[in-house]
Formats: sequence, structure tokens, C-alpha cells
Amino acid sequence: MDALIEARGLTKTYADRRAVEGLTFAVPRGAIYGILGPNGAGKSSTMRMIVGVIAQTSGEVLFDGAPLTRAAQRRIGFLPEERGLYRAMTPRAAIVYFARLKGMKAGAARRRAKALLAEHGLADRGHKRIRTLSKGLAQKVQLLASIAHEPDLMVLDEPFSGLDPVNQQSLEAMIRAHAAAGKTVVFSTHVMEHAERMCDRILLIAKGQMAFEGAVKDALAHAPRSAVIETENGFDLARALAPAGFGVAREIGQGAAARWRVDLSNGDDPKRLLAAAVQAGAPLTAFEPNRVSLHEAFVALVGAPASSLAGGGGDA
Amino acid sequence: MREIFLIARRDYFAYVTAWGFWVSLITAPLLVAAIGFAPVLLSQAEPPRVLTILADHPADAAAAARAIDDAERSDARAVVLGYIAATAPRAQEAALAAFDAAATQREAVAAARDIVAREAPGAAGAFPTPAPRYLLADPPASTPEALNPYLIGERTVMAAGEARPLFGAIVISRNGEGAQVRYWSANLADLSAANRVVRGVGEAMRAEALAALGLSPEEAAAIQALRPTLQQFDPRQGAAAAAVTNADRAPLIVAVVLSFVLWAAVFGVANMLLTSVLEEKSNKILDTLLTSASPLQILIGKLVGVACVSATFFLFWGLLGAGIGALANRISPSNALAEWAVQALTPELAAMFLACFVAGYMMYGAVFLALGSLCETNQEAQTLLGPIFLILTAPILLLGPAFDNPSSPLVAGASWFPPFTPFLMMMRAPAGLSWYEVAGPVALMLATLVLVLWGAARVFHAGVAGQSDAAALRRRLNPFRKRSQKAG
Repeated sequence: MDALIEARGLTKTYADRRAVEGLTFAVPRGAIYGILGPNGAGKSSTMRMIVGVIAQTSGEVLFDGAPLTRAAQRRIGFLPEERGLYRAMTPRAAIVYFARLKGMKAGAARRRAKALLAEHGLADRGHKRIRTLSKGLAQKVQLLASIAHEPDLMVLDEPFSGLDPVNQQSLEAMIRAHAAAGKTVVFSTHVMEHAERMCDRILLIAKGQMAFEGAVKDALAHAPRSAVIETENGFDLARALAPAGFGVAREIGQGAAARWRVDLSNGDDPKRLLAAAVQAGAPLTAFEPNRVSLHEAFVALVGAPASSLAGGGGDA
Repeated sequence: MREIFLIARRDYFAYVTAWGFWVSLITAPLLVAAIGFAPVLLSQAEPPRVLTILADHPADAAAAARAIDDAERSDARAVVLGYIAATAPRAQEAALAAFDAAATQREAVAAARDIVAREAPGAAGAFPTPAPRYLLADPPASTPEALNPYLIGERTVMAAGEARPLFGAIVISRNGEGAQVRYWSANLADLSAANRVVRGVGEAMRAEALAALGLSPEEAAAIQALRPTLQQFDPRQGAAAAAVTNADRAPLIVAVVLSFVLWAAVFGVANMLLTSVLEEKSNKILDTLLTSASPLQILIGKLVGVACVSATFFLFWGLLGAGIGALANRISPSNALAEWAVQALTPELAAMFLACFVAGYMMYGAVFLALGSLCETNQEAQTLLGPIFLILTAPILLLGPAFDNPSSPLVAGASWFPPFTPFLMMMRAPAGLSWYEVAGPVALMLATLVLVLWGAARVFHAGVAGQSDAAALRRRLNPFRKRSQKAG
């Protein structure tokens, strides 16, 4: 694997607690890479170590095969979790400022800022003060400021947090376009659908330790599989399928119509289940092989209750 | 360097494009002028204080009234002299002669103004008209008891054609060869009128004694007027040195003023840095900056940016002062104030100011930035910076002793303490220090500055990266930490 980022035994200890312990992972060049975990898992600490904002206590981070240098940092665009810009600045000035700090020439930075603002529908806001923009627009400006220098690596900490659905969609498109251009994106999120829909690979962290690292489809394989069957005429599906070895539980329905969940986590094929049900004479009204989600995979891997995954608050 | 420049430039323009900057730029000189002129304006705004005199002997009453009049005239003369010396020194001699020759104070001021109008027409427009501080009224009653309703404001007396409250009553009584002055007034703070009367009656008593010895009134007056002249010399100028003048003292006075300006500037801009870093930390801008610049670059960039803001202040005020000076010089070409300022603001003093500002600002600014980076709120920062504020306040307390004696052991010793060095060396600079008295504290200050910058960059990095905070620092500095931990 051609890795742009490699972390080896990454550990971060603060005064009274260990935030991250022994993380080892690699981010392939050109990939969209997700870092997932409950609140306080260590996602932000990991991302801040990747971009060099904080130093690791032990372990190492390699960027393009070498330790992170100032020159390498210029090839990274970083969007921190808690976002903010200079409120008295204009969006255009902010984008130019951060692009220039990343090494762009003044003229090129100005042209790039103008183009980015126009491309993202902010041309008419370019000279307004940031304090006059809505939260969503200000976030968009900050994102533009972090990518204005066309970095090889975008590191986005909870980028979807606080955005409305339209802006989330727009951000997704931006990330995909960046990856399509051969650039690498690392982002953290608590919205599993984003990761599942967008990521090539993910890193699951729980309590500072790695719970899973790999392709999304491999993570999904850890999710429990099942199927939902609906029957009528008071048919007892559990008794009918017991000889075939299926574990069936009634979900809804006391009378004629009933809804059943059949456990397929032992590797049973949904087709074999359907065949067995038909053969048993079940009066089927619905058959839904359950599509596994990353959310379920996460619960299975981390063992955390679902409620701990939903929050989008601060992180260590 | 590029990162430092960009950060400094952003911070600089962030301040100079804010309306608060322009308000400060314009209001500060107005405030200084208001503070400078406030005593004069207040004294002119206050109505004259009315006094009345009760005396056993008419001669004592006359002496007391004369003493008050003379003092009034003397005060008016000082005001007129100050104005003429500053605006039309060539007319000074003739104007004062005309002032002294006039019979009444009003006529004296008018005579001096006429001379100035003739000799330096530009300076006549703002010629001062000193208002009388005291007016004398005929006693409305013959005993102190009977004067009481007037003194406590229940009744008024007629003075200068108006009914006015009675400020004070001076009761003079004779007891053999002695005399007693009793002063009645509801105002317990102002004794100046009574003291003038005591001096006047004393002179009258001495005149009487001299007359009793057979001297004529002219001879007695001549004896009363006997006073030695005073001249001050600076031994460092050699035995043939000319007497010390106000111009020679000018650098000392300017050094005090510049020390205070230095202190106010350091205090002000350090607070600007603190506010700035708190804002950038709370909205995580520093996280973004840290991916583009090192903590030391951010620290220096911010220091340089705000230093340029200060430089803009100084440049504007300097140009404003020079402009006003040039204007005054155009109105009155022989402007003593301008000459005095030129003599006082020597290149050495200006260089010392620059060096002390840079060192003091960098030292305190770096500390403010570093400690600010550990805090989340302004309140937390103020608590943490309390001891620094105390240290920063101490040099102001030493400005008085330093002006009185720049080489006193206390001041000389304190100037070796690096946090005080910028302010006290500024004060001591015109005092003619030996080379080691300058080089020693300055070298120590520069070494401390390097140490402070190094330490501040480390703390700043830990603070902005969230690896340390105010609570951690307090725990670290708590001398009872280990003991309490053991006890716990």
C-alpha cells in the first residue's frame, strides 16, 4: 500500500490521563479515510498529532515516508473541530491569509480565494466581515481557507458537525472531488452514514485504543446479519423454521399478522432462509434481508451502547 | 521569517483598522491635555472664595488685606510669566516691568498683554486672564459668633457687587507684643489664605519693631526685602560650569515622563496581546496557525505586530507634537517651550527609550502571551497574571524616589532587577551614570529577555496545544502541593 500517512505506536499522554495508546495505521494516498469513535475516544488528539499541532508522547508519524516537517505541513490542510476565524476579517482576506501562511504567493492566493468563493456561491460575501455570516457559511469559509493552498492531505475534524443537510451534501461533494483529484482526505465523524458512504478505509478508536482499522466492507463484516419476515393467518414461523436450524424471534404481532427477525450471523445465506420459509408453507407478506450498517459494526466491534455513538460533542 | 511577517502584519492591521485604535489615537493626547490643563481650568471655573477680616487694630486688617492682594498678584504674575516665557520670551522683560508698574492686578495683566501684543502679536490671542482666587468683603458682623450664619451658608455677603457665600473669616487679635490669627471656615483643607495673612501680619509686626528701633518705613521695607539669591551648579561640569538652568533639568523631567509613557505603553500593549491570544485560543485559530508556523514564530509574530501598533501610536503622537511645536514656533518664532523640548529630547534619551521599550515590551509581552495561552477566559487570565501586574506596578512606585535621587541605593539596586530595568534605566539615563551602571543592568536584562522568550515559547506551545493549562501551572507553582498530596 502506498501510504501518505503512517502512524506507528502513536501514544499521547496528558498530565493526568492517556488519550491515545499505541495506534498503528496507514492512510493510503488518494483515499478517503475516516476516524471514528465515541466521544472522548481520542479522535481529535490523533488528528492533531497527524498534522503536528501536538507532539506525540511516543510513537511516530510519517508523512510521505518521512517525519513531519514544516515543509510537509504546508502540504496539509487542517480544519479543527471547534471552528473559528478572525471575526473582523472578510472571507477573502481570511482565505488569502491562511493560504499565504501555507506558502502561496500573494497574487496566487488572491486569485485562488476569488475562485473558491465564486465556486462555492460566496462571491457576493467575499468582502463582508465574517461576523456577519451565518455559522454554516463561516464554517464553509474556514474549510475553503484550509484547502486554498491545494494540499495533498486534508485533515478535517468533525467537518459535518453544525452543517445543514444542503451544506453537508456540498461538503461531501467537495471531499469526493478532492479525492478524485488524487488528494488524500482524513476526517473524523460521529455520523456513521457519512463514513460508510464516503470512506475507503476507517479507523475505529475506543478509549484511546484501536478497535478496527481497514476497509469499510471488512468492518461491515463484523456487523450481525439478520432478515425480517412478515407472515399472516397466525402462522408460527419460529416453530416452522426450527428444524432448519434458524434462530427466529417474533418482533411484532400477536394475532394473524406477525413480524419476525431471523438471525443470520452464523453465516447463513438469506436465499436459503427464503427457500426454507417457502418450503415450510409460510404465508409470506414481506421478506427483507437486513442491510448491515457501520453503526452496527461499530457496536459489535467496540461493544459500546448505540447512544455513545450519536453525540457530536468534544473529543480528546 | 515569512510566517512571522504574515502573522505580525495580520495582527497589526487587525488593530489599526479597528475603531478603538483610532479612538485611542485621538483621545489619548486629548486626555493628557485635559489632565494637564485640568487644575487651571478648575481653578478658573471655581468662583472666587470670599474672605472677611476682623482685627483689633486697623493696621493689622490692612496688613492682612495687603498680604492677600499681594499673593493674588504674585499668583497672577506667575501665570503671566509662564505664558510669556513659553510663547514670547523676547517680550518677557518689558511685559513684566509693565505688570509690576501697574497699580491693580487687572491693570497689570492688561499692561503685560499690551506689550506681548506689540512684540509677539501671535501670542496675544491666548493671553491668560488669571481669575482672583480670593475676594475680600467688609465684615457683616463684628464677632466670630455673629459671623457664624454667614460661614455655614445661611446668609451671604456682598463682594465685588454680588451676594456670595462667605468662605472664611480671619480674626486677628493682639496680646501685648504678640498677635494671634484665628481662622474660621467650614472648609478644613484650604489654609492658604490664613497662611498668607500670618506672613503679612508678621511682616507688619517686624516693621513696627524696626520703626520702634528708629528705622524709617523705607529702611524697614528694605530690610524686610533682604533675601539671598540662589544658583545651582553641577560639579560634573567642572568648577567653571555655568549655573544650572531649567533647560539642564529638562532631560530629567522628560525621562520621568518617558518612563511613565513606557510603563503605560508596556502595560497597555501587553493587555492587547493577552486579549488577542485568548480570542485565538478560544476559537481554535491557534490550532490552524500551528500547522503553518512554529509556536516561537507565532509568539514573535504577535509581539512584532503589536509592537508596530505601539510604534504607530508613538509616531502619530510624535508627529502631532512636532506639528503643534512647529505651529507654535510659526506663531511665536522664539518659542522657549520648543527650545526646551529640543534640548530635553536628546538622541541618547530617544535611543534609551527605544531600547527600554523594546526590551520591556518583549519581556512582559512574551510573559502575557505565554500565560494567556494557558487560560480559557479573561477572568482566568487576570487571576493568573495578578503577580505579574504587581511586579509591573512596582516600578511606578519607584519613579518618585528615582526622580529625587537617580543614584540612591534603592533605585540603583532595583534597576538591576530585570523586570524593573527598562523603567528605572530610562529614569536614570540622564543622571550621568558610569558605563558599568548602564552596561550591567542592560546586559542582565537582555540575558533575562532571551531566557523569558525561550521559556515563554515553551509555555505558549504547551498552552496553545492544550497540553497544559492554568490549573496545571497553579498546581506546579503551589509550594504545598507535595505536602498536601502526601497528606491526602
